[in-house]
Parts: sequence; structure tokens; C-alpha cells
Amino acid sequence: MTAQDYVPFRDRAAVAGIGRTAFSRDSGRSALALATEAARAAISDAGLRPDQIDGLVRCDMDQTTGAAMAGALALPDVQFSADVGVGGGAPCAMIGVAAAAVLSGQARHVLVWRALNGRSEGRLGAAIAPRVVAGGQASYDDFFTPYGLLTAPQSFALLAQRHRTLYGTTDEQFGAVAILCRDNANRTPHAQMNGKPLDMAGYLASRMISTPLRLFDCCLETDGAAAVVVTTTDRARDLAQTPALIRATAQAPAVGSGGGMMFPSITWTDPLALAAGPVAHRLWSRAGLGPQDIDVAQVYDCFTITILLQLEAYGLCAPGESGPFVQSGAVSADGRVPINTDGGNMSGGYIHGLNHLVEAVRQMRGTADVQKSGAETCLVTSGPVGMSSALVLRRDA
Amino acid sequence: MTDRLYPAAWDRDTGPFFTAAREGRLVFCACNACDRGLHVPTPSCRFCGSIDTSWRDARGTGTLYSWTTVTQQAHPAWPVPYTVVIVALDEAPEVRLTGCIPGAPALSAGQPMQVWFEDIGQGRTLPNWRPLQNGDLA
Ligand SMILES: [Zn+2]
Repeated sequence: MTAQDYVPFRDRAAVAGIGRTAFSRDSGRSALALATEAARAAISDAGLRPDQIDGLVRCDMDQTTGAAMAGALALPDVQFSADVGVGGGAPCAMIGVAAAAVLSGQARHVLVWRALNGRSEGRLGAAIAPRVVAGGQASYDDFFTPYGLLTAPQSFALLAQRHRTLYGTTDEQFGAVAILCRDNANRTPHAQMNGKPLDMAGYLASRMISTPLRLFDCCLETDGAAAVVVTTTDRARDLAQTPALIRATAQAPAVGSGGGMMFPSITWTDPLALAAGPVAHRLWSRAGLGPQDIDVAQVYDCFTITILLQLEAYGLCAPGESGPFVQSGAVSADGRVPINTDGGNMSGGYIHGLNHLVEAVRQMRGTADVQKSGAETCLVTSGPVGMSSALVLRRDA
Repeated sequence: MTDRLYPAAWDRDTGPFFTAAREGRLVFCACNACDRGLHVPTPSCRFCGSIDTSWRDARGTGTLYSWTTVTQQAHPAWPVPYTVVIVALDEAPEVRLTGCIPGAPALSAGQPMQVWFEDIGQGRTLPNWRPLQNGDLA
């Protein structure tokens, strides 16, 4: 398998419709109700009827099932369905699977969704695996949770500390990441943190969760849903919206990850390379593009440190230079490559990264609230630990 | 007493680490083909692919690779603050083991660390780590 094999599939599938619910701390509704609302919005946005959806791609962690969605939307003829993981690494891989389905004739219009009551029903930032007997079956939790390493913030804090040790990354550089996301959220009406400005003093004053990560280094926990409709570019051009062309997708596990998911990341050969390194290499090869060709990016941001690491992994800056790079304004709204233009997971809403796809499509349509002027390409990344995925969208010429 | 979390001793890939700890020994999994340490202990070598792996005795010294002081309580058995440390073994620095130190000690990257064995009840012992002190046999 070489990048050359991918060339015939560049730009041949597209995102034709996008939808989302409001993002909140307590939706008061079931995850299925959220999923249904976002799905109907995406289908309607594309100019389709629900009965024209014949493919379903679900995230393996979703609180809804494919069968429940087919029932809730009264889909009469689902010909293709897939569960794609892992968790936050899923969204761009889900789009890749949907594109494969429509390009191989297994479905015409594929619905991709993510729905969660991530705040009101089981907080994602809480202890991940608090089982009294930890480990077994290649979870490797036995090497971590009995020592009190219990949550996602704690695990990513170890990576953040390592970045500080190697590169001297400062509190203010982490803060610059949080603040740029918050600034974008404050210009995006649907963002959860809209109306709540953040400055460096406010960032530095936010309570420490697990050193060096503070509260505002962590993403939100959100109730909400997002959905997109994928079809072939040819079909999309006959639908209601200007298609966002799927230039290329890629996914990969971390090199040397040695099984397990998040906690073992600190034991990997190069913990800071994560899984994003091989994904980036594959993505640029398949797309025939490089970081210099990207106009705007939505970078998976469960924590500020994951933005810094991915800016390096995708070549937007050199290894170790992400802190000064963010401080320079290069990825701020008026910089060369604005990132997370709706506030992202940090300040917009945490729909486990599928929200990044919705925002990326808005950028390609020219309808984002923080619109990059003349944007023709958008990088999207999903979940840099364990399994990771990414894609490039292109505005239809 | 607050229930804490115990390592599964029955797992065939990871159990020998905790069985040895019960005997006061620190061991690590290593590849006999390329001689590198394997942690987490995958059944085949992540460097060369060999399935010829075995558990070796470690000296019990290392250096501090990374750490985090937890200040937001996540579990009743771990009152904050406490500090999770990640230690690279001296004889196999690619092996990075976890430890836990109460409080918020002043630490610096690369500082020498020393293993100790913590009886956590239920017949389980954890190899744990603390900064090397005067009087330790390094
Ligand atoms: Zn080997």
C-alpha cells in the first residue's frame, strides 16, 4: 500500500451535509434524542430525506447504536453499517470508512454521527478504569491505576511535563493555547464558552488539576451531538450545499504503543510522537499536500498539550517549537493557519471531535463564525493517542 | 479503610511483575533476541518482533522521566496532593515504571530514584519509587 494507491480516490467523496445540537452541561434528553436531532439537521442541510440515508457509521464509544438510529430515523433500507474506533481517534477514521462505502458502491448516502451526554451522564474526565482489580487482557491498567494514575488529565499531564522537560515549554505557552480557543469561542455563538472571555491572568489563576495542567488546559465535558452526511462528490454536487471534498483520510495506531490505550502512552518509545506522527506522514502523502498547503485546521484538543504535540507532528512547526509557535499568533484567528476556529473541544463543545468536522465543513463553505478568508483547505485531526486519524477537506472548485 | 485498587495478579503477561514484588524483587520483561527491555510487557518484542522474552531482575535504581502532582481528587483512596512518578530503569532506560509519592515533593527530571516495596494488603505488593536518599545503596 503506497500513497500512489490512494491518488484515484482524492476528492471523489464529499461531506454534503452537517448538523449539530446545542452544546450544554445538561441536555435533559437522551443521547438518542440528541443524535436524532443532529442527524435530521445534517440530512436536511444536504437537501436529502431520511429515507435516502442507506449507510450508518457509528463511533465505537457512542451512547447510541446503529439499530437505534435506524429506528429513530425510520430508515427503510440501510445497506451499510460500521462501528469505528477508537473513541477520540474515531471521527476522521469514520469519515474515511464512510467515503470507502460510497466509493465502493456499498451505500449512496452515509450518516456519520457522535452523540453523548458527556457531562450529565457519566463525566468523561472522571476516573477511567476504577476497577478494584486492575489489569488483565492487555489493558495494562495494573501498572497504572494501583499507583493512583486514574484519569485522562493525569495521563496527559505526564506528557505535558515531559514536553516541559525537553523543550522548556512554559505555563504561558500552555495558556496561549487555551486563550486562542476561548477567543474563537467568544466569536462563535453556539460555543459553550461564548460570553466567557479568558485572559492570561485568568488562565494562570484557574485551579491546578494535575501539574502542569490547570482546569483551562482541559476540554469541556459536553452534552450534545454532531452529524455529517458523506456521499460521492458527483452526487454531492447535485445536492443543496457546496460540497466539502474529502481530499484524503488516514489513520494509524501509535508506533511502539504496546497495546492498551491512554495510560501506557508514557511507556512508548517516543511518548511525545504519539500516534499522530505516522498518520501525518500518510495523510500528506495521500493528499499530495503538506502543512504549507493548509489554510485552516481543526486540531483534536482534549488538552492543550495535544494541540502542541500535533502542531509538531503535522509539521505546522518544528519539533519542540510548538510553544513559541502558538505564542507568535501563527495559529490564532488572524494568523497564517487559524486552528479550532469555533473554540474546538476546549471552548466550543466536546463532541469527541466530530464537532471539528462540522466546523471544518463550515470553513470550506465560507460560513464559519471565525472564517479564514479564502480558505480552500482544512486539516482535521482526531485523537492523537493509541489510534489516531486525520483528513484534509478541500473547497470544491 | 478505603478500598484502593489492586493489580490483577492472574494475568499471564503482567502477573510475574507483581509475583516477584511479593518476594521483594523488582523484575522487568526483556527481549532475549535484541536485549532491550519491554514495558508494558507485550508478548512479542516491540523493537525486533521476537517472541523470545523473559523476566529479568533489576537493580532497583532509575532516573525520573516524568511526573505529575495530582491536585484534584479522583478517588477516595488517593487523597490529594499526591505525585505520580515515571522512572526509567538504569539498566534498561526504555523501561519506564510507575510510582506514587504522597504530597507534592520538589522533583527534577533525571534525578536518581530508588525502588521500595509497598505491601498494599490483599496479598499484593507494589514496587514503588522514591527519590534516592543519603544512605541508600545506589
Ligand atoms: Zn527484541
